[in-house]
Amino acid sequence: MVRGSRLRQIGWAICIGIVFGGFMLLTFRVNAVKSEVVRAERQIVALEQEKLALETEFETRANQQQLADWNAIEFGYAPPRADQFLETERQLASFSAPRAPGSPDPIRFAREMEASDYPALVSPLADHDGEGSQEETSSKEAELAAAAAGDAHLALASLDR
Amino acid sequence: MNAYAIDSMVAAGPLRVANKRLEALLVARMRALLLMPAFGLVAVVALMRIATFGVLGAPDTPLSMEERLLPPRGEITDRNGLPLARNYDAFALWYNPTAMKDGGSPLVHRPEEVAARLAAIFPELDEADVAARLASGRAQYLRRRLLPEEANRVFDIGEPALELPAEKDRFYPQGSMAAHVLGYVKDGEGHLGMESVLNDRLTDSSLRGEPTAIALDLRVQGALEDELNKGMLSVNARGAAGVVLDVDTGEVIAMASLPAFDPNDIKTSDLMISDAEAKLGRTPRVFNSVTNQVYELGSTFKPLTVAAAIDAGIVRDLSLRYDAKPVKVAGRTLADSHNLGDTLNVPEALIHSSNTVTARVADKLGAERLRDTMRALGLAERPYIELPARGAPLWPGEKWSRVTTMTVAYGHGIAVTPLHLASAYAAMVNGGVWRPATLYKVEPGKEPAGRRVFKEDTSARMRQLLRMIAIYGTGQSADAPGYRVGGKTGSAEKPSAGGYRKKLLVSTFAAAFPMDNPRYVVVAMLDEPKGTTASSFQRTAAWNAAPIVGKLIPRIGPLLDVRPDLSRDIDISDLRPLIRSDIK
Repeated sequence: MVRGSRLRQIGWAICIGIVFGGFMLLTFRVNAVKSEVVRAERQIVALEQEKLALETEFETRANQQQLADWNAIEFGYAPPRADQFLETERQLASFSAPRAPGSPDPIRFAREMEASDYPALVSPLADHDGEGSQEETSSKEAELAAAAAGDAHLALASLDR
Repeated sequence: MNAYAIDSMVAAGPLRVANKRLEALLVARMRALLLMPAFGLVAVVALMRIATFGVLGAPDTPLSMEERLLPPRGEITDRNGLPLARNYDAFALWYNPTAMKDGGSPLVHRPEEVAARLAAIFPELDEADVAARLASGRAQYLRRRLLPEEANRVFDIGEPALELPAEKDRFYPQGSMAAHVLGYVKDGEGHLGMESVLNDRLTDSSLRGEPTAIALDLRVQGALEDELNKGMLSVNARGAAGVVLDVDTGEVIAMASLPAFDPNDIKTSDLMISDAEAKLGRTPRVFNSVTNQVYELGSTFKPLTVAAAIDAGIVRDLSLRYDAKPVKVAGRTLADSHNLGDTLNVPEALIHSSNTVTARVADKLGAERLRDTMRALGLAERPYIELPARGAPLWPGEKWSRVTTMTVAYGHGIAVTPLHLASAYAAMVNGGVWRPATLYKVEPGKEPAGRRVFKEDTSARMRQLLRMIAIYGTGQSADAPGYRVGGKTGSAEKPSAGGYRKKLLVSTFAAAFPMDNPRYVVVAMLDEPKGTTASSFQRTAAWNAAPIVGKLIPRIGPLLDVRPDLSRDIDISDLRPLIRSDIK
């Protein structure tokens, strides 16, 4: 009886001890997180202030008067003239001259495969009894077709002189 | 009690069980007695905590970051969000002789040594003066607004008495730029410009977190001040003023009054001048000559008179020739600055800036109609703008004599601010609607309705005429290629105690661009320009104010989304043949 009750007492004590320990652990953890948050906030404030100071310093060093002075002394840039502006593609095209006879062919560059050139993905679920080889052939076919289309494009380009 | 229990246990065997029960009961009671107050205490604490929450609300510690990030005074930005005025923590250099707290010498090194090292960091400091101040042992500021790197170097000196407190400070990154528009802050109160107008908003804790955008464009403002300053220095003028106004909304894109002051460093001499200087008509630097100073703006008024006459149907046939010989009226003779021939038509009169023809047109129009137009253009009252400094125009009263009508027609006998003129020109070219000028940003589609002063076709005619002045007349040096500039010069003699002074002029150029679809009005004004090599020894606006506008427009046009185009212009083919070939 006595032994049992002692045991129970010890059991309770251990239980309370564990719970209390857990509680304290949790409290410490919460407070640690809280202080971390506070530290992070302080850091944010400090960084924001530093950002503001740096931004202000930049604005001050590069203020309009300073830029005008530098331009006057160092660079001498002038505002763009009216003939330096282009309004439309037509205006740009008007600068090109027709090819003179005997001039070399324009240099053509090999075209890289673009995303749209790749065959579309075939879902393996939609066509489950269709064999893998068939899929392979179909994708190969698509690739060939794409290559042909590319050739046609090149052919067109070479016709277009 | 325990002793008694043990005694009894030892003494009597049959009593053992009963004693044990008693003992257990006692222990239980004791525990209950101990636990009860503990639980009670916890309950009371919990209740009190709940009560505090209920009464005081939740603690606001999570807000502290927001609070700390909230500036003590709101930021002012230009229309594109670039900062014009902001608050930031600046380091100050504070000398605290009691920092060592040992009662001995406040400095580790000798004051002269410390002063020499400070002077090495801040070359503008007077070394001897600083040494004397350090030796005096009085706590004081040695310098304010230190850069962080300078603060580090001061720290490296290793003097505990040199403290570097971070202070909240109002700062204008652009220095003196737009100083008259922004104003300044002293002891937490805004003065003079938008700092004063927006003071409540900038200090309101619910609004000051967000920057306040005003109508100015920082880049255009910079270009305007740069060109005005260059123009002012090249002709040795006493002052200069300029404004760029959006013709459709009334927004002030740039406004400059030179010489300016630095709101970062307000001096007493910026705020007041001596009586002797005031007698000479001088004004302190804080005085905004765009909104506060009235001038007789001279010939820039001629297009307004002509527009009123066209609008009233007085001038219908632009080829009609007017007598250009001096006008004798009320014992006075009004003449042109030089002989322009016996007769002129209205386009020629504007191109050559003829006083006599304009006076005759005004005479035909009549005092009443000219007065009503001038009043409708807002020239009879203080200019419409948010700034507190607004000058009252010198308005010639309600009953205009014949000579008053004739002189007002070419801008004499009436004195207004350059801003008045800019608003009037905006109404003349934008289709005829006058709108108040504003320093607040106007959202697209939210521009004020304004009031109609001129008919649409009068405005179209005036656009042609103004463009012709810039192509063939006195405004040629303002005609930036591709920008279709139109405008009018004005060179008025300054009045003084004994009448007009021939040698002291106020020369103005009022322009708008692009003339085929006007977007902006530009007014540039020089106060007392001299004849220098830069202006070919001329004092009139064609030689000093017009070139400023001619250089300014190519700088600001692309920034304001106005592209130069040589293939486009306003159609003046119907008026072109009216100009005599010898002046084409």
